[in-house]
Amino acid sequence: MPTQIISVLVEDEAGSLTRMSGMFSRRGINIHSLTVSPSEKEGMSRMTIVTTGDEREIEKIEKQLNKLIEVVKVNILEKDTSVIRDLCLLKIYADKENRAEVLEIANAFKANIVDISLRTITLEITADPLDVDRFVETMKNFGIKELFRTGVTAISRDIEKKTGG
Amino acid sequence: MSDDLKGTEIVVKCLKEENVKNIFGFPGGQLIPLYDRLYDETEIRSILVRHEQGAAHAADGYARASGDPGVCMATSGPGATNLITGLLNATMDSIPVVAFTAQVPTKAIGTDAFQEADTFGITMPITKHNFLVKSTDNLSWTIKGAFKIANTGRKGAVVIDLPNDVQQKTSKEYYHGEVKFAGYNPSVVPNPLQIKRIAQKLMEAERPLILAGGGVILANASEDLRALAEYLGAGVATTLMGKGTIPEDHPLSLGMVGMHGRMAANKMINNCDVLLAIGCRFSDRTTGWGLESFAPDAIKIHCDIDSSELNKNITVDFPLVGDAKLVIRDLIKFLKKYEDVKKDTNIWQKRVKQLHSMCEECETFKPKEDKLTPEVIIKAINNFLDDNAIVTTEVGQNQMFAAHYYITKKPRQFISSGGLGTMGFGFPAAIGAKVARPDKQVLDIAGDGSFLMVCQELATAMSEDIPVVVAILNNSFLGMVRQWQELFWEKRYAGTKLGTIPDFVKLAESFGAYGERVEKVSDIEKALKNAFDSGVVSILDFKIESETNILPMIPPGGRVDEMIGVGRCRHK
Repeated sequence: MPTQIISVLVEDEAGSLTRMSGMFSRRGINIHSLTVSPSEKEGMSRMTIVTTGDEREIEKIEKQLNKLIEVVKVNILEKDTSVIRDLCLLKIYADKENRAEVLEIANAFKANIVDISLRTITLEITADPLDVDRFVETMKNFGIKELFRTGVTAISRDIEKKTGG
Repeated sequence: MSDDLKGTEIVVKCLKEENVKNIFGFPGGQLIPLYDRLYDETEIRSILVRHEQGAAHAADGYARASGDPGVCMATSGPGATNLITGLLNATMDSIPVVAFTAQVPTKAIGTDAFQEADTFGITMPITKHNFLVKSTDNLSWTIKGAFKIANTGRKGAVVIDLPNDVQQKTSKEYYHGEVKFAGYNPSVVPNPLQIKRIAQKLMEAERPLILAGGGVILANASEDLRALAEYLGAGVATTLMGKGTIPEDHPLSLGMVGMHGRMAANKMINNCDVLLAIGCRFSDRTTGWGLESFAPDAIKIHCDIDSSELNKNITVDFPLVGDAKLVIRDLIKFLKKYEDVKKDTNIWQKRVKQLHSMCEECETFKPKEDKLTPEVIIKAINNFLDDNAIVTTEVGQNQMFAAHYYITKKPRQFISSGGLGTMGFGFPAAIGAKVARPDKQVLDIAGDGSFLMVCQELATAMSEDIPVVVAILNNSFLGMVRQWQELFWEKRYAGTKLGTIPDFVKLAESFGAYGERVEKVSDIEKALKNAFDSGVVSILDFKIESETNILPMIPPGGRVDEMIGVGRCRHK
C-alpha cells in the first residue's frame, strides 16, 4: 500500500487536532506520522500527515478532512514534486573503539554531531525519510540507545510553467 | 460595542434572532442560570421533558416536521451524556439540531468536579460540529455560527457547551452580521457542465429510475422531484428517509427500496438503464450487500450536497455536488433543451405501473378472518388519518411495517430514525412534531419494546398539553431481532422475549392520558377516533400475534434482487 503525504491547513482552535486525528481513527485509517506547526497564515496551523492508501482511499480521506469545519485547505503532496523532510535525533553507543567509524558514516550521510560523551554520540540528521531510514538501519550495527523522529513535514515545489514561443 | 449583557441574555437574544420558539430541555445545577432567564420568557416556550434523550429526539422531530432547527438543552455531566444518542441520531439523518449543554465553571474544568463530563470531547465525533465557549465575549458569535453550521450544507447536530460562569458573566460583545468560517463554505450550486452531461444521459434513457433520499425533503424539493419524474417518465423509488418525496399513491411511485423495501422498487433498481440518485447515501440498508449487483446495468448518477458521500459506498459514473432543489431545477432546465432526443418511456412507465400493482397485489395481506395484524392496523390508520397527518415510528418491525404499508403523501409527514435506528425515537419525536405542527394529527407507530424506553415522556405530553397518539403494535417481543433469530439463528430467542409487559391502558391512565386496548379489527377505527377525540396524549394497545414477520426482506449478506419471503408473489 503506497504511503501518502497529506498537508492540511487548519484554523488554530482548541480541539482541532483531536477533531482531525479523531476522523482518522473513526474511519479506521492509520496515521503513520503527524506533525503540527505554525503556518505562514496567522491563526492557522499546518498539519502534515503520513498515511497509507490507494488513490480512492486518499480521495475519501481528503473529502472527509474537507468536511471538518476548521480545515481550510487539504493538499495531497506528490513525492516527485515535493520537498519531504524528516528530522531524526539518535544516540549511538560509541566508545573509542568505534567512534571514528561512526563519525565517518555520519559524515557520509551529512548528519550533524550534536553531543558526545565517553560512551555515546548523539547525531542529528534532516533528510528525506527514506534516507533517514537507511541511516538508522546503518547505525543499528553500532547499537542505538535512543531514537527520536519528528515525523514527516513536506512542502510542494513550485514548478515553473514553460512560457510559449 | 453594545450594552453589557449577561450571558443568558445573549443566549436568549440570539435564539430570538434565529426565530426559535420552543426549547426541549431538562434542568440541573449548572443550567440554573439559563433556566432562570427562560422562566420569565414569553416568546420562547421551554418544554420540560422527563429524560434528556427525549429532549434531543423531540428537537429532532421538531426539525423534521417544521424544517427549522430544533433546539434542546441539558445540564452538565449526566444531562449532556443523556443527549448523546439523540444528537447522533440527528447527525446520522442530517437533521438540524442545536443543543446547549451546561458545563462546570471554566475554572473547575479538568478538576473532575461534580457533574463534570468532557462534553466537548464526547460530542466531537457524533455531531457535525461542537463548541466549548470559554468567554461570554464569544457567546453570540458561537451561537450564530452554530445555527449556521447546523442548518446549512449537509445539516446536522451542533453542541454548544456553556460553562456556568459564561452564562452568568456580562459582556459588551455582541456579534451582528453573518458568522463566517474560513474552512466552511458548502457548495450548493451544481456544476453546469456536469448537469449538462447528466441531462443528456437522462434523455437517452429508456428505463430511467430516480432514487430519492432524505436530502430531497431537507432541500424542500419534493415538488421539483415530482415534476422531474413526470417529465422523464421515470419511476421513483425512495429510501426510508425519502418517504414522502413523491406521493406514494402516484403512478410513478414504487415505494421504498432496500432490505425491507418493496419488491417493485428493488426489482426496478436492477432493471433500470439510468439510475438518478438524489440526496441519499447508499447505506447498506438501501443497497443490500452485493454492491456490484446493485443496479448492475445502469449508468449511475449520484447527486448529493455532501461531496464525501459521492463514490463512498458505491462507485458511480456521474457524481454531482449540489443542493437537491438546485440540482433538480437545473436538470429540468437543461432537459428541456434536449427535447428532440428524448427517448419514449411509455413502455417503461406502463411497466412501472404494472409492477407496482402486481407487487401491491402479492404483498398485500388479505385478512381471512377478523385478526389484528400490523398490515390491517396500519391500513386502518392510513384510512383514518387525513392527508396532512404526521406519522412517526419507533425502530424495528413496527418501523418497517409502517414504511411498507403507510402511504405517505407529503414530505415531512413520515418521521423515522434512519441511520442510527434508535429505539425510543418515535414517541418523543412525535411530541416534537406536534409542537412544531399543532394543527396536524400526529401518530407514533410503536412497538411495545421501543415505547417502554421512553414512556416517561407521557408526563411531558400531559403537562405540556401535547396530544399525540401512540399506536403500539404489541407482540410481547423485540420483534425485529426475534425475526432475525427465527430466520437466521434457529429460533433461539435470546433476550427478545419480553416477559413482563405493562398494562399500557393503565399506564396511560396513571399519567392522566387516554388508553384503550384493541383486540378486534372492527374496533380499530373507533379506537383511533376515541384517541384523537380525547384531546390528550393517548395509547392504543394493539395486541398482535407474537411471531409475525415483516417480509419480504433481503437476508443478511444478500443482494438487492435476492429477497426472501416472496412466497406470496405469483409473478416472481
